[in-house]
Amino acid sequence: MKKWRDLPLYAKILIGMVIGMIWGISAQSLGIADFTQTWIQPFGTIFINLLKLIAVPLVLVSLVDGVSNLSDVSKLSRMGGKTIALYLSTTVLAVTIGLISVNLIEPGKYLSSERREELKAKFATDISKNIGTVSSKEDDSPLQMLIDIVPDNIFHGLSDNVNMLQVIFFAILFGVAMILAPKEKIKPVKDFFDGANEVILKIVDIIMQFAPFGVFALLASLNIDLGLMKALGVYSLNVVMGLGLMVLVIYPTYLKLFTKQKYFTFLKGILPAQILAFSTSSSAATLPVTIDCAEKNLGISEEVTSFVLPLGATINMDGTSIHQGVSAVFIAQAFAIDLDIGQQLTILLTAVLASIGSAAVPGAGIIMLIIVLESVGLDPAGLALILAVDRPLDMLRTVVNVTGDTTVASVVSASEDARVPIESPPTSLE
Amino acid sequence: MRRLPLHMQIFLGMFLGVVLGLLSIFFGWGNFLTNWIKPFGTIFINLLKLIAIPLILVSLISGISSLKDVARLSRIGGKTMAFYLVTTVIAILLGLALVNTVKPGNYLSKEKQIELSAKYASDANLKVTDAKKLSESGPLQVIVDIVPDNIFGSMANNKNMLQVIFFAMLFGIAMIMAPADKTLGVKNFFDGVNEVILKVVDIIMKFSPIGVFALLASLIVDVSGDDPSQAVELFQALGVYAITVLVCLAAMIFIVYPLILRIFTKVGYNKFFKAIMPAQIMAFSTSSSAATLPVTKDCVEKNLGVKEEISSFVLPLGATINMDGTSIHQAVSAVFIAQAFGHDLSMADQLMIVLTATLSSIGAAAVPSAGLITLVIVLGAIGVQPEGLALIIAIDRPLDMCRTIVNVTGDSVVSLIIDRSENGIPAENEPNLQ
Repeated sequence: MKKWRDLPLYAKILIGMVIGMIWGISAQSLGIADFTQTWIQPFGTIFINLLKLIAVPLVLVSLVDGVSNLSDVSKLSRMGGKTIALYLSTTVLAVTIGLISVNLIEPGKYLSSERREELKAKFATDISKNIGTVSSKEDDSPLQMLIDIVPDNIFHGLSDNVNMLQVIFFAILFGVAMILAPKEKIKPVKDFFDGANEVILKIVDIIMQFAPFGVFALLASLNIDLGLMKALGVYSLNVVMGLGLMVLVIYPTYLKLFTKQKYFTFLKGILPAQILAFSTSSSAATLPVTIDCAEKNLGISEEVTSFVLPLGATINMDGTSIHQGVSAVFIAQAFAIDLDIGQQLTILLTAVLASIGSAAVPGAGIIMLIIVLESVGLDPAGLALILAVDRPLDMLRTVVNVTGDTTVASVVSASEDARVPIESPPTSLE
Repeated sequence: MRRLPLHMQIFLGMFLGVVLGLLSIFFGWGNFLTNWIKPFGTIFINLLKLIAIPLILVSLISGISSLKDVARLSRIGGKTMAFYLVTTVIAILLGLALVNTVKPGNYLSKEKQIELSAKYASDANLKVTDAKKLSESGPLQVIVDIVPDNIFGSMANNKNMLQVIFFAMLFGIAMIMAPADKTLGVKNFFDGVNEVILKVVDIIMKFSPIGVFALLASLIVDVSGDDPSQAVELFQALGVYAITVLVCLAAMIFIVYPLILRIFTKVGYNKFFKAIMPAQIMAFSTSSSAATLPVTKDCVEKNLGVKEEISSFVLPLGATINMDGTSIHQAVSAVFIAQAFGHDLSMADQLMIVLTATLSSIGAAAVPSAGLITLVIVLGAIGVQPEGLALIIAIDRPLDMCRTIVNVTGDSVVSLIIDRSENGIPAENEPNLQ
């Protein structure tokens, strides 16, 4: 038992995954499906509930906190605006790539149609609600989506997870207002949100302690068959392709357009950071190495790296964003739901905005995905479908996250160098 | 009036309310009372309920985060659950012992039984379907229901108190675990809001004599209806049953709790009784331990010196899962209905009652007006047709008022015991009343 305690969290989650998958595959043949349904599935539900529970407070608090901090840094440094714009553009591109590829490849269609009907029935309550809103949306004006983002009552918006975009809208509004108000007057508010952010991250920690059991329960109660495995394989390939596209096409293009850096030298220079990202799947943990590589191997000044890279680790997650787009649509396909263009735009918007708020902590990816799923009314329990392959994909997408951050650092550095050389050095960032 | 201490004012309100209620029955003022007095009672209950959820959330977060130590919390939690379980089992045993000796079911005439069954069949069926829904869900559904998927959604409904308690505990524990200097802003905020909410409770309590007056006056009119002789007739039929329940409830308050207090604390029962009287009166008038919660908390903190870190945890939990009075009522009613239908209950059946009544008093915590619904489950467990509920629905309301007193008293007793065992006797010995 002591051994179990000493294991790092990701190993525990991995063990939970494997045992859960074995249980799920054998449950049918051993005739313990009923037992699983009664005594194991509830823990999966509790885990999903916990994640949903923390999603709204996390978005609200971390966005308010994040936005109000963002202004500080962008005012402090002339790099700020540029960096944030670049980060947003890569994130939007990433989600778009994810969405387009998953719509072309349609990995969810590899599930047998009976299986999809079964899944649809299992998660029917949410789906019927969702279909209801879709049909009512058809005769609305094309700007209805914008109208829906602006809540007419924030407490009502907060009380239903489907209104995630409304919460995001309010949080950004509040954060921006905090920037504009005199600093000394809003200090108690800032202190409160700073502290609350800290507390909520701690709650995420606590919930993740429960993750090995939750993941086990979710996978054990998922009846895994050949069709599902095939679909998962195609889905994983889809994610990997999206990630590859990012690393091999998008980033080189950025570098070519904005810098004189050779892409090969660039890749070689940041290889150590990529390897560490792959093995830890945490861009926060990789940060020191990323900074080191960027400075020593790419010759980016400390002034740039010390600002751009830490910011990137928290707000720029290109790999995670691709994964969000692909996963959300895959789950919808598996549930036999067609997402219309408006809903896909909602996914794009939610994924991009949520990435500003979510911190570089383990589990943030899952909670972000929950937020995205709920924003289009999909039952987050569908998460169970993709959990089995999440860990390896997580490792890969962290590589992309880190690469994206470094790319932006290179671009910012190049544009800084292009300015009139050596003007008075900007106020230091601590 | 202004000079009188608050609990005397409340007492006076109660007394005047009863007098007005009785007078209006004789003079036919029923309509006037319903239109012009009753709304103030409703406003009063609304005020109490209004503050209940913020009170639980804020005081629990502020209370737990001042503990500084998660181990201490789990110790307090364990002790609290143990005491709640023990008092519940004692209550059920007490009820069973008395109802088996008195056998009130034998006093119910056959005609009356048929008449009652026919008259209240639809009400009873309603509860039976509710209970079916409850027992159809899996055994772990209870735990699943405690974990909300959206805290703002839970806070929007007073039925979800247990979910709010869960979230507040999670938040409080996370605050203990996070570095204290970073969460200072949050801590200050919740401590401040807590102070404000206590003040709000104070303000609401100023209104309580009038509220209690209005509640009781309209209640008497409601219960007796337009025809007071009907109420008397009903009491004659079910009198022995009602008295059995009442005697058990009284035994709990006057024998069991004093005994428990004597064993575990040094607080004199007189002092205790006087201290929580406002809460008891409020429990009687509102028949809701959730609505009474702000008052109960106020009483045990101000009059008995219970620390807030204890009361903010023990009392909300007790209001949802510890219902000694309700458990007594379950035991007596189950056996009463069985006796009336001529069922002989074996020893095993009686044990079954103890088991299901205990479990359902914990399990049905999240269900409103849980008492009658869980009674259906208890009846089902011993093989008595649940429609027998119809026999007792008629006089459930007054009994509900009385058992809420016991529920609230039980919670207060446990909070006092936990407090004394954790914190010892307060410095200035026992605090004075006023």
